[in-house]
Amino acid sequence: MDRVQEEMGCYHDNSDGTNNIRKSVCAALGEHPLQYKYTFWFSRRTPSRPASSLSYEQNIRQIGTIGTVEQFWRFYSHLIRPGDLSGHSDFHLFKEGIKPMWEDECNRAGGKWIIRLRKGLSSRLWENIILAMLGEQFMVGEEICGAVVSIRFQEDILSIWNKTSSDHTTTSRIRDTLRRVLNLPANTIMEYKTHDDSLRDNSSYRNTKISL
Amino acid sequence: MSSSSSPVKSCPIPTRVLTLKDWSQLPDCYSQTPGGTLFSTTPGGTRIVYDRKFLLDCRNSPLARTPPCCLPQIPGVTVPATHPMGKLQDLKEEEEKDIADDSQFEMDI
Repeated sequence: MDRVQEEMGCYHDNSDGTNNIRKSVCAALGEHPLQYKYTFWFSRRTPSRPASSLSYEQNIRQIGTIGTVEQFWRFYSHLIRPGDLSGHSDFHLFKEGIKPMWEDECNRAGGKWIIRLRKGLSSRLWENIILAMLGEQFMVGEEICGAVVSIRFQEDILSIWNKTSSDHTTTSRIRDTLRRVLNLPANTIMEYKTHDDSLRDNSSYRNTKISL
Repeated sequence: MSSSSSPVKSCPIPTRVLTLKDWSQLPDCYSQTPGGTLFSTTPGGTRIVYDRKFLLDCRNSPLARTPPCCLPQIPGVTVPATHPMGKLQDLKEEEEKDIADDSQFEMDI
């Protein structure tokens, strides 16, 4: 690792030959550490291709892992904003080691809050939700797994995943924090869906439980 | 716990009670540590907590502006697609273009 890389708090590329490059992250001097490390992921699906678990895993790829505030900005500033993405695309920001998939160990007993947005809001609200997550504003211990912004045809969807869907204290607190940090329009409907239900109906955003 | 015999004066935690008629009345500072603490102690241990303002301020430091090395090249996501991308760092809210049909995109991994 050369000196420039060291100063930038760079990554050791331990490519294992698959889609997912393992990177270890070191914090450079003067950087502000995050409570957890997070990985950026991107996924895209051509509408003609049906959704399946196998194709989902192949269509999702890691962009990079961050461990400090400055590393976060370095990546985030070089990614297109969600509102400018085309097609059926998603950005995911998940704790290191947790795949943004229902089947991951950490997600099996979990679920997510979903907020549907009209077009034009996703970029700003994605930024707000991830800043809240990185800054530990949710105050639910280890429960947060990650956040997703999903760009779809006529609406965009923000989600935040937590480990234990049956823990209502946690899910209520997440919901309240979302209202505060996102400054949502009054009467915004928030929906909760367990990953178990998603697996059963093979859908992320249908058949949710609505919470007003 | 103090073992001295002199009584210690305690102060209750300052609180404010509000009655809300609507979620929009929820104040910005609800459930946030006053002053936007950098480090805070919560039951069970110390957590690294940053408020939004602090995180945004960090964006201006030179440490935060260099491009990350090892950024994968994904057209339309990390590098321009077929045409130059619009403003990457513009924080102004933009109206989404009306996409009549989804473009066919084969992702090159």
